[in-house]
Amino acid sequence: MKKIDLSKDQLQKVILSLLGFAALIYVYFTFFLGPLDRSAASMKASINDLQTKVAASKSEITKEAQLEREAGSATARFAELRSHTPEGAPIAWFPPRMRTFFASHEIDKATARLESSEDYKNPALEKWTRYHWSIELPGAGYNELGKAIADLENAEPLFAVSEVKIHTLPDDPRNQVVDLRVTTTLAKR
Amino acid sequence: MALHLNLLHEEIQEQRQRQRDPLKLGLIALGAIGALFFLYYMWQGYRVLQVKNQLSVAEAEWAKVEPKVTSAQKRATDLSGTINTTRILDDKIHARVYWGPILERIARCVAPNTQIVSLDGMVDAKNAVAISLEGVAAGAEPRSVAEDLRQMLFEQLGKHYPDVSVEFKSLEDLDTQVSIGGSNVPTARYFLKISFQAGTPATADAAAAPRLEKAP
Repeated sequence: MKKIDLSKDQLQKVILSLLGFAALIYVYFTFFLGPLDRSAASMKASINDLQTKVAASKSEITKEAQLEREAGSATARFAELRSHTPEGAPIAWFPPRMRTFFASHEIDKATARLESSEDYKNPALEKWTRYHWSIELPGAGYNELGKAIADLENAEPLFAVSEVKIHTLPDDPRNQVVDLRVTTTLAKR
Repeated sequence: MALHLNLLHEEIQEQRQRQRDPLKLGLIALGAIGALFFLYYMWQGYRVLQVKNQLSVAEAEWAKVEPKVTSAQKRATDLSGTINTTRILDDKIHARVYWGPILERIARCVAPNTQIVSLDGMVDAKNAVAISLEGVAAGAEPRSVAEDLRQMLFEQLGKHYPDVSVEFKSLEDLDTQVSIGGSNVPTARYFLKISFQAGTPATADAAAAPRLEKAP
């Protein structure tokens, strides 16, 4: 192997060249190529993220369209159930409605009183309130009463009778004093 | 063989040394490598620009899709809420107790020689119905008339509801007599306690509660 004889001056110059080369490498990778690569990697990650989001959103839109088709009957049913709650405070419209309803079934002087109301604990029913009413019918025939209750149960799907008290009048056995405890589920307006 | 005399030996030596100067050679190498690095840097810069363009396209696409997906998500949430609420309300509707048919069935059981004085009925949270009947039975054997009523109630209600129980709470003879068909007959006062299960109560997560009959 050929031995390279370098003078002191030449050796210094070789070392200087090597130092210059190392500095070039460092500066190039640290201040030029490095930031460029990091920027490219960051942009690629953003592109991947956006592409994932776009793909997911397309499936989300498809699902929503599918749900829209499936929810047709539920939406109509929901609107129908909501329509059973008129505008205004229930205490204002429910008693007159009951009076009119029972009067149409030959039961006069019906009075309805609000006993209590409560919100449902179920979050799905947060826009609905349960009302407990007491309905007094001072003079009702048994058959008329049965027919009226049946019609009311059929006409008002969110109406449920929880208690029935029927007592005959001593002087008028054909008519009874009736006390109903009913629960209605009404939409919050 | 001719003799050559190199009179410029020192100058040639110096020229060779200048040509082999490590610093000069190092600078040339450094310049060459720097040029290569610069070219590579330019190539990388071009690729980054391409990536930037792709990012711009992706951002534009997302900007176009985002409002739609936000509105779709909101609509889907609303629809899911509507479906869920409707299902729960329907469960409640299907699970409620219809009193119309109950009153009708009780009325059908009451023979002309009995009279119901009072009826107290209530339904609890588990849809268990409890009814107290108070009445007067008349006949040659008024207790037997009351028992017929009890059996009839048991039979009729048992056709439609499970776990039917009809029991006398009390049954006592009365001193008073009533006229039925022109003849006076003794009477008895009865208290009947009726209980039965009228369907499954609605629960928030009930998939489908069994549908009860509709009031006639």
